[in-house]
Amino acid sequence: MGKTLVVLKGRIDTTNADQFQQDIAPLMEGEHPDIEIDCSEMSYTSSQGLRIFLLLQKSVNARGGKMVLRRMNPQVKEVFDITGFSNIITIL
Amino acid sequence: MRLDLHSEMILEEYQAKLPVFEQLKTVVLEQLRRCLDENNIVVSGLEARVKTEKSLSGKLELKGYKYHTLDDITDILGARIITFYSDEVDLISALVEKLFDIDWENSVDKRKMLETDRFGYLSLHYVCRIPEALYKDPNMPELNQIRFELQMRSTLQHVWANMYHDMGYKSEVEIPVEYQRNMSRLAGMLELADEQFSRIRREINDYRRNVQSLVASGNFNEVPLNGDTFRSYLELKPFHRLAEKIASINQAELYEDSLMLYYGVFYLLGMKTIGDIERLKNEYKDEAFQLASLQLAGTGLDIVAYSVALQNLCIVAVLKQGFGKAGLKRLFSLIYGENSYNAQRAQRVYEQAQKINLIP
Repeated sequence: MGKTLVVLKGRIDTTNADQFQQDIAPLMEGEHPDIEIDCSEMSYTSSQGLRIFLLLQKSVNARGGKMVLRRMNPQVKEVFDITGFSNIITIL
Repeated sequence: MRLDLHSEMILEEYQAKLPVFEQLKTVVLEQLRRCLDENNIVVSGLEARVKTEKSLSGKLELKGYKYHTLDDITDILGARIITFYSDEVDLISALVEKLFDIDWENSVDKRKMLETDRFGYLSLHYVCRIPEALYKDPNMPELNQIRFELQMRSTLQHVWANMYHDMGYKSEVEIPVEYQRNMSRLAGMLELADEQFSRIRREINDYRRNVQSLVASGNFNEVPLNGDTFRSYLELKPFHRLAEKIASINQAELYEDSLMLYYGVFYLLGMKTIGDIERLKNEYKDEAFQLASLQLAGTGLDIVAYSVALQNLCIVAVLKQGFGKAGLKRLFSLIYGENSYNAQRAQRVYEQAQKINLIP
């Protein structure tokens, strides 16, 4: 079974977090979903973004899949690190 | 295969009753599953099968003369519960006795049939019926009359029986005499292993209970650090105050993630007892909060993981013990796994620590 590749661009903040959640809603369905998220063009995430990543990870794990975030720039990685989210979400 | 007239009649009866046997199989499995769930018992396997026509024909060809009617054959439906440990077989059989009507005359405890100097097939076989009080289908009244066989055995007893069956033997006497001794030796070894697994499981349970009470009593210096003691320690929420204090920097929501990962970190930091972790926490909690404040204040990030408290405590401990950037990189590898970010993160945290005079 293949995996779904998601490419994120720009910022996730209060102005577009709802839209982001809607956009990834299809990923919350289906069996054994393996999801790879390319973050190389993501410039920032707010707490709302973190919550959405957390929701997606829980949904993926519950269905027996794996979610991985890749190629994150140092500024975005810092957000995950200082909130402890790097402990929760797999970032490679 | 040629059957006599009597056996042919039994076979016809079987064909006519097949839907009832299939329904009985569903009911038996459902009732057993429910009973195990209600009693919080996890088993290695629960299975059932209705004997195939081919298999029944074979049985009738060999010993059809023994049976007057189909009702005399009690294993047309056979079910099996495979437990993890041998001492769970008795526990489950007690539940089965309450659940089903047992035909004691035809039930056998093969565990007690072997002589003291013999080793071989060990399993408990009950011949049962579904009592009407448990399940009744007005369209299938005969369902409550049909007997079925329920086998209960441990995983290792199941392994032995399966291997034996795979070799094509149905009874011990069929095995060539030169191999009987080796089969007996294997059976004895598995029986010993089964007992040892049960004993170790009991001892581990006792140990965990002791550890829980020792941790709860607060005698942390007497509690050696291992996975069990660390888990019990975490139940006391020892890092909660620090995590809440860090969350308060941005009035953030605290997300409770698993802290078990930090067992390995504390172990590598040289902690030998839970008391050592308590001392580390008390010694470095203020600096851990300072570091978190430097990182989080003004970011507007209003969710933090509970583990952020341990993360910062461990960073401070590594730096205070003089392990420097290399120590931080090693720490991040332990927490996040080996990845390309760890060196950068170590550099960044080192610079932050310098700002608040954490570097000795």
